[in-house]
Amino acid sequence: MTRHGSGLRDRTAIAGVGWTEYSRNSGVSTLTLALRAVTAALDDAGLRLSDVDGVACHRVGDSVQAVLVAQALGVEDLRYHLDMFGGGGTSHQVVAHAAMAVASGMAETVVCWRAVNARSEFRMGGTGRPAPDALEFQYQLPYGYATPPQQYAMLARAWMHARGATSEDLGRVAVTQREHALLSPRAMMRRSLTMDDYLAARFIAEPLRLNDCCLETDAAVAVVVTSAERARALAKPPVLIAGAATGGGHTLFSNGRADPTVSAAADLAPRLYAAAGIGPDDIDIAELYDAFTFLVPLQLEDYGLVTRGETGGFYADGHAGLKGRLPVNTHGGHLSEGYVHGLNHVAEAASQLRGEAGDRQVPGATVALTTGQPGYVGGTSSALILRREESA
Amino acid sequence: MTESSGPQHPAVDRDSAAWWAALARHELVFQRCGQCATWRWPARAMCNGCGSFGWGWFPASGRGVITSWIVNHHSFLPGVPAPYVVLSVRMDEQADLVLPGAYDGPPDDPALEIGAPVRVGFSDLLGEPPAALLRWSIIQSTA
Repeated sequence: MTRHGSGLRDRTAIAGVGWTEYSRNSGVSTLTLALRAVTAALDDAGLRLSDVDGVACHRVGDSVQAVLVAQALGVEDLRYHLDMFGGGGTSHQVVAHAAMAVASGMAETVVCWRAVNARSEFRMGGTGRPAPDALEFQYQLPYGYATPPQQYAMLARAWMHARGATSEDLGRVAVTQREHALLSPRAMMRRSLTMDDYLAARFIAEPLRLNDCCLETDAAVAVVVTSAERARALAKPPVLIAGAATGGGHTLFSNGRADPTVSAAADLAPRLYAAAGIGPDDIDIAELYDAFTFLVPLQLEDYGLVTRGETGGFYADGHAGLKGRLPVNTHGGHLSEGYVHGLNHVAEAASQLRGEAGDRQVPGATVALTTGQPGYVGGTSSALILRREESA
Repeated sequence: MTESSGPQHPAVDRDSAAWWAALARHELVFQRCGQCATWRWPARAMCNGCGSFGWGWFPASGRGVITSWIVNHHSFLPGVPAPYVVLSVRMDEQADLVLPGAYDGPPDDPALEIGAPVRVGFSDLLGEPPAALLRWSIIQSTA
């Protein structure tokens, strides 16, 4: 029986959110980062360590094992355990799986996190780390082609060509998100960014310039998932997980995805909206995975939020700003808040829906779309629709 | 393998060994399903179109079109000095047969264009075992 995943609708909630400091060098282990973020999220929820019976994270060989975090937290009877291999495409699957575990009764309180010293220890774009455990890298490394800025530059040119998008169109994404980050005390980037700054910065892998690329960051972010019923009895207003969906993606493996300019999110989106019983017109804010600028307008198209080919005007007219029609990446995103591999988008959506986003708060934000990487390179995508419960 | 200048050797696996061996002989081949004739790359045992485990290696046309390219402005990996181009090429055989490769031309070549037709070439790697990489060149229009 297909119910488009609607069996999960509103049954679980994010009850707590926690962050570590964002920095260029945390000076501590990824285990310590994970423990700090998880305990902060539990404190936020008004839960105790003894309440935790499930753990879930994603990583790419760059962070502590989930089971060691569980043991360090003192979880004696671990009822749910997910240690997912994968990058940003899996980020929202982690939260979705936690919700499924809770909805099924396997566990009651699952902590989800991403912890990484992405600047001081394991630079994604660096040359010092071993090739990821992925078959396809043998076909890329010998060409000097393996790091995310290169792989996404390849996709960016194809997308820009297909849509007639310009460097200025990408620049507006970076500039808009920097404006948002300047309103966040957490954000890594503290200086304003103008279009001239953007265009004057060096190319990393053409057509992507420096500010098209996200910030490798040392940080951890955690969220606590529990039943909606239980969340209503806790410290903060529950953020309901209205819908969750996972999708496929583009890889080198010929898999019928011949057009790189439409992501797997275009297939995932209808299932996500059906699962949540919420449509694109109902979305108040969108936190869209932004390891690189062009992924944001691409997802605005693929999630049906802006007509294909019209995202340039959408940004130029200010619609993605905090006072715009659909504020996008209200925290500054990976480009300007910090790169916590998708989990910081979930956390920001929850903050906004609770009305706790401070100077960057979008008034009346009730429904949020938050997404993982839309399936490129890693081959999977994922997204959540979160909503604030209407007060009774 | 000695520490050489030049690009790294590929990390060949059991599925891909025959493909890389063909490349070392300057032959571009792809697997084709014995049942539904779907092409596939990279190498693997089963057809993702019909599920058949029957397949053979077939020579490719060696022709395709550029779907995208990048100009790398710093050396991302040892042995590949900047600036350099990496192409993404869609083979004429099938729309989802898309391969990366090097470009036989300068990084600022005005001929680089999405949709430009290309022909395969090969460049041998230094050291052992014998290995070669793809090096695409643009097919000049004769009109």
